[in-house]
Amino acid sequence: MMEKKIWVYIEHHNGKVEPVSLELLSKATDIAGGYKDGASVEAVILGDDLQDALAELATSGANSIYAIENKCLKEYSPWTYVPVITQVVTKHKPDLFLFGATAMGNVVGPSVAARLKTGMAAHCIDLHINPQEQMVANVPAFGGKVISEILCPDNLPQMASTKPGIFEKKSFDQHEVKVIKEDISEVLEQIDLSKLKHITDVEVTPEGVGLNKAELVICGGFGVAVEKDWKHIRNLAQKLGAAVACTRPVVDSGLAKENQMIGTSGCSVKPKVYLGFGVSGATHHVCGMNTTGYVITVNRDKAANIFKYSDLCIVDDADKILASLDEAVK
Amino acid sequence: MGKINIAVCVKPVPDPQYYDRVGIDPVKKTIMRNAVPTIINPVDKNAVEAALQIKESVGGTVTLFSMAPPMAEPEIRKMLAMGADEAYLISDRAFAGSDTLATSYIISSAIRHVSQKDGKQFDLVLCGSESADGATSQVSSQIGEWLSLPHLWNVFALSCDGSTFRVKTKIENGYSEWEGKLPAVLGVSYDINKPRFTPVMSIMKAKHKPYTILTFKDMPEIDEAYIGLKGSPTKAGELFEPHNGRSGQFLDGSVDEKVKGIIATLVAHGIAVREK
Amino acid sequence: MEFTNEQVMLRDVVREFVKAEIAPHAAEWDEQDHCPDELFPKLGEMGLCGIFVPEEYGGAGLGHVERMIALEEISRYSGGLGIALMTHHLGVYAILRGGTEEQKKKYLPDLCAGKTIGGLAVTEPSGGSDFSGQQTSAVKNDKTWGINGRKCFITNSHNADVTVVCANTGKDEKGRNLLSTFIIEKGTAGFSAGRKEHKMGLRGSVTGELVLSNVKLPEEALLGVEGKGGRIAMESIGEVGRAGMTAICLGILRGCLEDAVKFAKERIVYGRPISKLQAIQLELAQIRIAYECANQLAYHAAGLKDAGKPATAAFSVAKYYSTENAVAASKRLIDLMGGYGVINEYAAGRYLRDALASIPSGGTSHIQQIIIAADTLANF
Repeated sequence: MMEKKIWVYIEHHNGKVEPVSLELLSKATDIAGGYKDGASVEAVILGDDLQDALAELATSGANSIYAIENKCLKEYSPWTYVPVITQVVTKHKPDLFLFGATAMGNVVGPSVAARLKTGMAAHCIDLHINPQEQMVANVPAFGGKVISEILCPDNLPQMASTKPGIFEKKSFDQHEVKVIKEDISEVLEQIDLSKLKHITDVEVTPEGVGLNKAELVICGGFGVAVEKDWKHIRNLAQKLGAAVACTRPVVDSGLAKENQMIGTSGCSVKPKVYLGFGVSGATHHVCGMNTTGYVITVNRDKAANIFKYSDLCIVDDADKILASLDEAVK
Repeated sequence: MGKINIAVCVKPVPDPQYYDRVGIDPVKKTIMRNAVPTIINPVDKNAVEAALQIKESVGGTVTLFSMAPPMAEPEIRKMLAMGADEAYLISDRAFAGSDTLATSYIISSAIRHVSQKDGKQFDLVLCGSESADGATSQVSSQIGEWLSLPHLWNVFALSCDGSTFRVKTKIENGYSEWEGKLPAVLGVSYDINKPRFTPVMSIMKAKHKPYTILTFKDMPEIDEAYIGLKGSPTKAGELFEPHNGRSGQFLDGSVDEKVKGIIATLVAHGIAVREK
Repeated sequence: MEFTNEQVMLRDVVREFVKAEIAPHAAEWDEQDHCPDELFPKLGEMGLCGIFVPEEYGGAGLGHVERMIALEEISRYSGGLGIALMTHHLGVYAILRGGTEEQKKKYLPDLCAGKTIGGLAVTEPSGGSDFSGQQTSAVKNDKTWGINGRKCFITNSHNADVTVVCANTGKDEKGRNLLSTFIIEKGTAGFSAGRKEHKMGLRGSVTGELVLSNVKLPEEALLGVEGKGGRIAMESIGEVGRAGMTAICLGILRGCLEDAVKFAKERIVYGRPISKLQAIQLELAQIRIAYECANQLAYHAAGLKDAGKPATAAFSVAKYYSTENAVAASKRLIDLMGGYGVINEYAAGRYLRDALASIPSGGTSHIQQIIIAADTLANF
């Protein structure tokens, strides 16, 4: 029985596993069925004190966890993480290796791929296993205008990354998990740690509800990118328990932060409802919200692109409707 | 403090302003880009600007590397007009079809080749964080790997003297601060600086700056196994346009009626709304 | 006209600058009639203030084709800034052509850097068309010139730091006025800007009166040879001024063309874009033809000047054609846009007003035709 191995790289922070890693593990359990002999879903996690994260991974769908614990790995650095992960992959030879397309994943994934001379499909929006048992990743290009299938048929592991919020996190009952400790101290000894030093992280706490947790996302675009309108967006979001999102012009005007921006170079969201005000619907923005359950948009231009991707379309001055809606709601 | 030699990687891409014109040829099933002009990838200009600022503060040289077809020359010369000192166009049919691994291999090889040829070390390699067309954001990290150098990505603040650097990189909820030794590879983000405008006087000067084409034959140390389609572990399959299956119903009426409509829809989809 | 690679690059870098610094503000400058003086240092850094001035005086060392390209790009969005800059060039050109080494070294570097703004004053209440009838007079007393008079419809009247003023310095043996030019700095006693005009078009540039009331100037203020200043002023207006107005209307024509195409593709009537309607297509074709012709005439004339060949008649033809057709094209644009054409949120109305205001600047269309007729009679 040639069971395949699907590996998922686990990001964690302050003892908590990042949602994207759990989403990837869930997806891995889904696609495992694409192999006729099945696949084992395995998590790879690096760090210093992994106890809390390991406990969380016990209900994540992973069959095995490679726990790579070493005090040198307490803080992330590509300079240490990449050679360590490469060593573990070389030893265990997984068939697939999935990463979150995050600040860390976007560096570690491709770097490991380069060391292993294998291919990585970047920020895919879907993954499946084809009848030839090859991984097929759907990757947007040209700002999302075109989707390309990417395969890595001749090299192993076949790698891919996905942004947070693309795949659904499933809940699993407590299940049997094998924890395998890996000793990589020899690899660390060969690294000149003076070449790259992580000094500190500065956290900026996000305001309000997180984009990936909210059931309702209220998104403001160019049409409401002024203080008087943005106040209504914030008020409404607070009253409705919604997350606030935006497009690039709003970030440029200083009214919102880049991590609230939805688009191919920003976040992807998949809430129950997306409510947009003054958003024109450029392709790269649509790419980040097109999988929403229900889309309501308000724009004064009848020909706005966003209406092609909306369920309920309102042609009117976004600032007027926004202010009235804020007025009408407690 | 010492002078530093900076290599900046620039990529000509179809102008992102016009991506709505990009589509798929229904017969050939390839990408169709009707009348979309080519420009230097916008964030690569930020990389050039960052290099020029370092050159202005500690002294040194700025060398451009671009893997592109020969028609990219005018766009690359614009970067010379912006202030870079010399440019290498890495161009050969043998390189066509390269994915990120092969591309980063070829560019790294060219950087090594020029370094050897001119007897000078590149202390810093700067790239834009991602290209507007493919946007894999992999190339800068992979160049770091091929050159066995420390590398960081999504850099939005950078300072360096002749031998060390300090940077800030963006992370999900804030930023990280790092410090390291040159040589290193950095992928910079669009908010690191505002690229300068090119004064018209610089255009004539750019005409006389060195512009060299490097072909496959010019770099005998390149291993054929790692270039082009053959050297690309990722392969493209089918192309399709994003799915769009929305109902698109228009709601007319007065402002009040529209607001009532929105509230009713939110409630119908499970969002709790308390009306005044 | 085929541009060289460098001219294409120049066009592109100016276009980038315009997109960031000028296009976003053009409508506002027009509405508020605000002349963006604050942009001159940046224009200077870009090399546009002294684009045809040799490098030794701080200029970009390029030619009149390059100047035309830059003015076209700027005027595509702001005709007002276009005329302010092109008038600045008139002052620069007069000093470059007629000045002594001392005068050139004294004034050109700051003018090229955009640190000072230039101007040229010829037109008087007695009529701009009556060039030789200028009544502003300059009388020499020992080593000082005393100038009295009034100039009107002068662009940059209130913001120019350095103005080249034309005055009559006596009569020749046939009783005709002898004209001379003087360099007058802002703040010189007796020299002041009077009334500011409220124009219907080319708003965003300052046009007004200059009053000269016993202005005392040292000998060094004389530009060129006494009595021969008319030639300098004429050449400035005829070749540099007309070229500037041509470029402005070429920019407006391109604006009409691009906006017409955009509107035609986006406006849905009878269920499809109006670009599918033949009536609209005919309008688009006419705007295109006008743009192409103006383009050829403009760059042909500028090319002649750069080659050192006589270009006055060519600029006359180009200026006449470009300005009159910019008026026609902007009306076509307004018509094609229906109700939207008369809404101020769209640029079409501004294009029309700017084009109309371009006609009396640098010689009216009537004057151009007289000039063209004279050249025709002499050469055909």
